[in-house]
Amino acid sequence: MPQKLKDKTGPAVSRVMRTPRSVTVEITARCNLRCRYCYFFNNPVVEYRDLPADEWLKFFDELGSLGVMEVILAGGEPFIREDLRLLIDGIVRNRMRFAFLSNGGLISDETATFLAGTGRCDYVQVSVDGSCAEVHDSCRGKGSFDAAIRGIRTLQRHGVGVAVRATIHRSNVHDLENIAHFLLDELGLPDFGTNAAGYMGSCRGNADDVLLNIVERKEAMATLLRLAAKYDGRISANAGPLADGRMWHRMEEARTQNAPAFNNGGHLTACGCTYSKIAVRADGVIIPCSMLAHLELGRINHDSLAEIWNNSPVLNQLRNRHTIPLSGFEFCAGCSYIPYCTGNCPGLAYALTGIVDHPSPDACLRRFLKEGGTIE
Amino acid sequence: MNQTDRPIANSIVVLREEFDDWAVLFNSDTADAVGTNPVGVAVWKLMNGKRSIEDIVSQIRKSFGDVPEAVSKEICTFVNTLADNGFVGLALESK
Ligand code: SF4
Ligand code: SF4
Repeated sequence: MPQKLKDKTGPAVSRVMRTPRSVTVEITARCNLRCRYCYFFNNPVVEYRDLPADEWLKFFDELGSLGVMEVILAGGEPFIREDLRLLIDGIVRNRMRFAFLSNGGLISDETATFLAGTGRCDYVQVSVDGSCAEVHDSCRGKGSFDAAIRGIRTLQRHGVGVAVRATIHRSNVHDLENIAHFLLDELGLPDFGTNAAGYMGSCRGNADDVLLNIVERKEAMATLLRLAAKYDGRISANAGPLADGRMWHRMEEARTQNAPAFNNGGHLTACGCTYSKIAVRADGVIIPCSMLAHLELGRINHDSLAEIWNNSPVLNQLRNRHTIPLSGFEFCAGCSYIPYCTGNCPGLAYALTGIVDHPSPDACLRRFLKEGGTIE
Repeated sequence: MNQTDRPIANSIVVLREEFDDWAVLFNSDTADAVGTNPVGVAVWKLMNGKRSIEDIVSQIRKSFGDVPEAVSKEICTFVNTLADNGFVGLALESK
């Protein structure tokens, strides 16, 4: 429609969506697995209990009335809910689409048939951390690899979109080449995503066994960058060694060439999630994101989501993170990467420093280099 | 039953008014989305199966200032695009 027409009622002028586009719902606090690096379990601020279906259905009605486009069903393990079909009916009835974050182990033919029949399932993301049971099961438990692959094949058979995420840790860092071959060549997936185990939840108690040390991190970065080139666009990352490797190469190149600051550089600009997304814990508490589960914004069916979305001081503070300069942090004092750095994920920053409005030490290039890392 | 020339919005389509004047029409069955401006939003809201395109154009002229001559053609194109993508149908004649 022509842009020159003037609306007599006047436009909104904020970059924030008027309502969230996507809502992540931790639909259950139960899981059939106990992964050693799980970010979800062992978070002292979370009350691990499930809400009855009618609470979620009422909430989905609210989401529908706000024009939310997609509900991401997470957990725990979302397929563990016995009343899942009822919940999905509630999403479909409210003109929304949905997706799952799953370990894949509880997906039956009947479930896949049902998902396909709705026509509204964007994808089921299944975690696969190894090219074989020995590697995958090392962190996720015996039998979990076979179950995940069975789940993926079941979804494929029924034409439900599958996304795979590989979380990189000490036990699979030497298996990355095989993982890529297995997922892309053998399973025939169009692509897969990668991230890394982070210092959150259960991982805090297993950090020494799970988190990559500096040598492994270098290896993961180099291998993933090589594989991403080899498989041309079929391996992606928003976080973890591949994302860091790509970002840090750009930063190093810019620094050595004394290039102008990046558009988003020099401030805590990394996270834009709060402009279009929000999340809900299994106990019904509304939070900005699953990685910031301690920031309680309200409770479903007690507090208006629209009100929280538009007026929550906590959300607005997160949205204004991009105005905080890195030069003001003692942590960044004297760093020559400041014009090119975004400070990275606030969830990880909080997990490591106890402060949300802080750069994440995990994604700090200067620290990585100081500890012996290199950018090749 | 015969079709009329009165467009009717597909009830499965969600209207999301976004920031900076923009809105999105989202078809949750197909995951297709069409971005539009405030005039498109007004047109969308007027497509109730009771108004012809001419009725809609004249309503838009009343609601917006500085309306150029070409608006009628632009609204026709917009409605046709939506119809091609299954966002809009034509109302049926009532008996
Ligand atoms: S990481 Fe996922 S599958 Fe593993 S225990 Fe946590 S919720 Fe369950
Ligand atoms: S010290 Fe680390 S976080 Fe701070 S600007 Fe430098 S690279 Fe970025």
